[in-house]
Amino acid sequence: MLFYSFFKTLVGQAVTVELKNDLSVTGTLVSVDQFLNIKLDNIRVDNESENPHMMSVKNCFIRGSVVRYVHLPPAAIDTALLQDAARREIQPSTAAVRGA
Amino acid sequence: MSTAASPAAPAATTNPPVQSSVEEPLDLVRLSLDENIYVKLRGDRELRGKLHAFDQHLNMVLGDVEENVTHVDLNPETQEEIVRTTSRKVDMLFVRGDGVILVSPPAKAV
Amino acid sequence: MADVAPAKKSPSDFLNTILGCRVVVKLNSGIVYKGVLACLDGYMNIALEQTEEYANGQLKNKYGDAFIRGNNVLYISRIE
Repeated sequence: MLFYSFFKTLVGQAVTVELKNDLSVTGTLVSVDQFLNIKLDNIRVDNESENPHMMSVKNCFIRGSVVRYVHLPPAAIDTALLQDAARREIQPSTAAVRGA
Repeated sequence: MSTAASPAAPAATTNPPVQSSVEEPLDLVRLSLDENIYVKLRGDRELRGKLHAFDQHLNMVLGDVEENVTHVDLNPETQEEIVRTTSRKVDMLFVRGDGVILVSPPAKAV
Repeated sequence: MADVAPAKKSPSDFLNTILGCRVVVKLNSGIVYKGVLACLDGYMNIALEQTEEYANGQLKNKYGDAFIRGNNVLYISRIE
């Protein structure tokens, strides 16, 4: 749930979502769910000339599983807080073959 | 169910001391928090950057990232393989875990 | 019949016996890693030490420590 919570704090920010098919979509983050599906508003596609079918699309829903990267605005991120959250998140250990 | 410490199971509620040994594979990644790491991804992509967060799927947030992508083109006349890498920098990047193949702390790399 | 113990062992028993040994890990992509098996978990995520990466039989890279995401793993085998 770490990244779900993390993305919720970024709602309203401008992000670029890079998909596994190399399409990059920039827009305002509207919402996110537990699968890290993403809704974007006021979108713009990098290389619009190569993707003319996207020209009239103003907002979109992106299935989480097709995302490769999300480029984030560094100013909106507290990295110390994020690292603490990551340490806490990983405490409940997954079933280890050894050391259980 | 209450999250308050139960007197019946005191051992279970005390957090273990900061653990520096590697007992499960994800510990290797946990020990790399706030360190520069190397990540090998599907699609001949490699990342180097500072690890700010990760989860059990290997979703990650990396800072000051350099991405290298390796392309292999075939020269149609000579059938030679032309290997070319493109590089770019990203300030802050979320990486979806399903593309991850390997994670290594590069400082310790040979 | 009682001493055919290896036949009764489960895959995870096998994995426990090769902890700390030099192993070869082959991925679905065909890339091969050789190193010392530090630990692994139920997803077949693997931590290797003194890792060497081979593609097409050629040494491509070395890593002091390496975490390999389990979904990429085809097999793990002990090197004698």
